[in-house]
Amino acid sequence: MNKSFIPMLTVALVVVVLSFPLMVFLNAQSAQRLLDRGAELPCGSALSCAFNLRSPVIPAPNQLLEDFPKAFFPLTDPNSIPFHGFFTALATVLGLLLAGVVGLGLAVLLTVSRAFERAVLPWLVASQTVPVIAIAPMLAVVLGSNGVQGLLPKVLISAYIAFFPIAVGVAKGLKSPDLLQVDLMRTYNASSVQMFAKLRFPASVPFLFTAFKIAMTAALIGAIVSESSTITDAGLGRLLSENSRASDSRSLWLVMFGSAALGIALVALVGVVERLVTPWRRVR
Amino acid sequence: MALQTSSLLVSVQDVSMIYKTKDSRGQALETIALKDANLEIGTGEFISLIGPSGCGKTTLLRLLADLIQPSKGSLLIGGKTPQQARESRAYGYVFQAPALFDWRTVQQNVMLPLEIMGFSKEERITRAEKMLKLVGLEKFARNYPWQLSGGMQQRASIARALAFDPQLIFMDEPFGALDEITRENLNLELLRLWRETGKTIIFVTHSIPEAVFLSTRIVVMTPRPGKIEKIINVDLPQPRNFDTRETPRFFEIATEVRESLRHGHGYEEEV
Amino acid sequence: MATRALKPSFLETNLIVLAVVCVLGSAFFSLKLIADRFALTEAWQSSDLIWLYAWLLLGLLGVALASSAVVRFLARPKAKDNADWLQRQLVALLPAGLLAVVVLIAVEGLVRGYAVPLAQIPPPSLVVQRLWEARDVLWRDTSTTLLETIVGFVAGGSLGVLMAIATQRYPFLERGLMPYATLFSSVPIVALAPVVIRAMGVDWQSKAVIVAITVFFPMLLNTARGLTEVNPLQVDLMRSYAADSRRTFQSLRLPNAMPFIFTGLKTGAVLGLISAIVAEFFGANGSGLGFRIVVEIGTVSLDAVWAAIVVASFLGITVYNLLALLERRVTGWHSSFRAED
Repeated sequence: MNKSFIPMLTVALVVVVLSFPLMVFLNAQSAQRLLDRGAELPCGSALSCAFNLRSPVIPAPNQLLEDFPKAFFPLTDPNSIPFHGFFTALATVLGLLLAGVVGLGLAVLLTVSRAFERAVLPWLVASQTVPVIAIAPMLAVVLGSNGVQGLLPKVLISAYIAFFPIAVGVAKGLKSPDLLQVDLMRTYNASSVQMFAKLRFPASVPFLFTAFKIAMTAALIGAIVSESSTITDAGLGRLLSENSRASDSRSLWLVMFGSAALGIALVALVGVVERLVTPWRRVR
Repeated sequence: MALQTSSLLVSVQDVSMIYKTKDSRGQALETIALKDANLEIGTGEFISLIGPSGCGKTTLLRLLADLIQPSKGSLLIGGKTPQQARESRAYGYVFQAPALFDWRTVQQNVMLPLEIMGFSKEERITRAEKMLKLVGLEKFARNYPWQLSGGMQQRASIARALAFDPQLIFMDEPFGALDEITRENLNLELLRLWRETGKTIIFVTHSIPEAVFLSTRIVVMTPRPGKIEKIINVDLPQPRNFDTRETPRFFEIATEVRESLRHGHGYEEEV
Repeated sequence: MATRALKPSFLETNLIVLAVVCVLGSAFFSLKLIADRFALTEAWQSSDLIWLYAWLLLGLLGVALASSAVVRFLARPKAKDNADWLQRQLVALLPAGLLAVVVLIAVEGLVRGYAVPLAQIPPPSLVVQRLWEARDVLWRDTSTTLLETIVGFVAGGSLGVLMAIATQRYPFLERGLMPYATLFSSVPIVALAPVVIRAMGVDWQSKAVIVAITVFFPMLLNTARGLTEVNPLQVDLMRSYAADSRRTFQSLRLPNAMPFIFTGLKTGAVLGLISAIVAEFFGANGSGLGFRIVVEIGTVSLDAVWAAIVVASFLGITVYNLLALLERRVTGWHSSFRAED
C-alpha cells in the first residue's frame, strides 16, 4: 500500500489537472450563454464566472471545498450527507443479511437435490446476466401502495437485488469440497448433517464473502434506487433525485462522493468481517 | 497363500468390478477394473498393492473401504461386510493427497474424526496430542495446513487416520506426490509407527523399492483387465532401516516384483 | 471414471415424455380453467381455486419428474463430438424450461383467481399483449439503450484493454491505477449517473459515457490480470528463444490474457447494460428502456413496465450468450471448456 501511495497520488493529480480545463471550458460556455441572454452575473466575465456559477456544469474545486463542510457536518444534522448515508447503509446491510439467510437456504436445497438444481439453477445463473435492478423502482411503488413504508421496502429491495449473487456464490461454495474430502467424511460414516456442518459450510465461507462483496454493491444500488423512486424520509437516493430535479450540481457531486465513499466503506467492512471469520486465510 | 501371522482380518473372494456404461449414442461400454481377485490378510500384516495405473489397486482399496461396491464376489473385514465395517468405523483411510481441511488447524484436523464419532472434548485433545507426537508434528498443532510442507501435511493426515485407533489402515499412494528423500524418511517413520501400534496396513504404491522396504507381503497387480498377478513374501528381517535397502536379499525381492510386473501384459505401454 | 452402472436409456426417455405430458396436461387444464373465467372481474369460487392448485401441482410433479430423469441422463459418460454437446445442453435446460411454463401459468391463474389488481401484479398474458401492442415504442427504447450500451462498451472496453497493456509495460502506472480500479467496483453507479447527465445533457451520449466508465474498470482489471499472470516457465522459454518483449507479448501474454479479456467483456457487457438502464432512470431524451420503466411507473401501467423489463432481460441474456459463444470460438483451447459439466 505504501509503495503505491505516490503513484496513486500522481494518477489522481493527473486526472484533476486534465479535467480542470474541461471544467473551465464547459462552465465558461454556460456562463457566456447566460450573459448573452442578458442575465446579470456578479462575477463579470465568462471566464471568472466559470468558478462561481450557481449551478455549474461541473463544479469548480473551490466550490466543492466550500460546500463540503456544510454538506457533511455536523453528522447528526438531518440535512447532512452522512445522516442520509446512515439510513441508506442501514437498509443495505439489513437487506444483505436477509439475502444471505434466504440465499443460504436456497443454496442448501440446490446442493441437497440434483433434480431441484436442474430446474432452478439455470434461472439463477441467467439472473446474473439480467438487469434485475430494473424491477426495483416498480417494486418500491408496489410495496408502497400496499402500505409497506419506511425502512422495510428498502431492505426488501436490497435483499432482492443481493439475493441472486449470494445464492449462486454459496451454491458454488457448498459444492467446492473435492472428492477426496467427501470420501474422507464417508470413511468416517459421517451423517449428512455432519457433512454440511463439518465440511460443506466451512468450505463455502470464502465463497460466501466473495459473493457478499459483489452483493453489497448491488444491495447499495438497490437501496439508492428504491429511495429515489418513492417518498422516503432519508437516504442518499432521496438526495440524488431531489438535487437532480433541482439541477443542483454542486450538491450532486458531493452526494456522489459520499455514495462512493459509502460503497467502498461497506465493501471494506465485508473484508474486515471476512478476515475475522476466516483466520486460516490470513497472511497468505 | 499361507498366512504368516495370527488371525484372518481381511478376506477378498472372487471380487470383480465391472463398469457398465453406455455412451450417449447408446453403445455399451464395459471396463473391467478388477477381475476375480482373491486375497487374505492377517492381523498385523503390512500389505502393499503394487502395479501400473489401471491395474485396479485403488479400486480394490475403495472396495474394501465401501466407497464403491463390487459387481461380483464378497469382501469381509473382521467378519463384517465393508459397509458394516465402515459404519462401525473399523478402518482409517489415507488418500493420495492430504485432504486436510483448510479452515482447521493441524490439531483440529486430527480431531475431526473424533468429533464426528462423538468423543469427549478431553479425549479429543489427549488423543490429538498423542498422535501429533507420534508423527512428530507436536510443534505445529496450532498451524494451518498451508503453513506446512507437503510431507508434513501427509504426516498430519496419517495422524488423523490413526486418531480414532482403528485396527486397519488403508493407504492409497500416500507419498506419491512427495520427493524421493522425503518419501524415504516417511517410509522409515511409517515402519516405526506400524511396529509401535501393531496396526494392519494395506498400502497402495507404484514404487518397487517402497513396496519391498515396507511390506510383509507384496500383491503384484497387472492391468487390462486389472487382476492380482502374484503375491510375494518379503522375508527381510525386522526392524528394517536404511541399510536394509542395500542388502542382496532386498534386490532379489525387488527383481522378483519387477519380473512379475513385466510378466503381466500391457506393462510395456505404461513405461 | 463413472462410479455406477446406469439404467437403460428408454426409462429416461419415458420419464421425460411422461413429465412433458404432465406439464402439458397441467397447462391445458389450467389455461382452460382461466379461459372459462376470463371475463370475471371478481375472485373465483374456492372450488375453482382448488382445481387450479391441483393442476398446478400436477405441473410441478412433471417438472420434478423431468429433473430426475435429466439428472440421470447427464450422469452418463459423454461423447466428445459437438452434436453430443448440443444435445446435452438442450436436455439440461428442459427442466428449467418446464418450470418456467408452470410458473408463468401459476402467476396467470393466481392473479386472475384472486382478482389481484392490475396495479399490483399484471397477469403474464397482459404483459405479452402489451409487448406486442407497444412493440414500436419498445423497439425505439431498445435501440436507444442498445446504442448507449454498445458505444460505451466499445469505448470503455478498448480503453480498458489499452490501459491494461500500458500498466503491464509501466509498473508505476500499475501501482497508481490498479487500486482505483479495485475500489471502483464497490462504487454504486447510480450516484454517478445524475452527475454525468447534469454535465452532458439528457441525450444518449451522457449514458454512453456512464456505460464507458462502468465497463472500463472491469476490463482494465481482467486484462491486466491476464497479461501478468503468465506461467514464469513460459516467460523463461520465450527468453531462451531470445524473443523481444513485443514478440513475448504477441505470442504469450496476449493469448494468455484472452480468457481473462472475455471474462471482462462478459462482466462489462452486463454491467454496462445495467448502468445504461439505471442512468436512464435519472434522465433521458424521450426513449430508453430505463426511461420507459420510470415513465410507466408514473402512470401505474405495470404491464408496460414488465414488458420493458422482459425486453431488458432478453437483451442481457442475448448479449451475454453471444459473447460466450464468441469466447468458445476464440479460446476453445482453454481448460474451462474441458472441465465443463
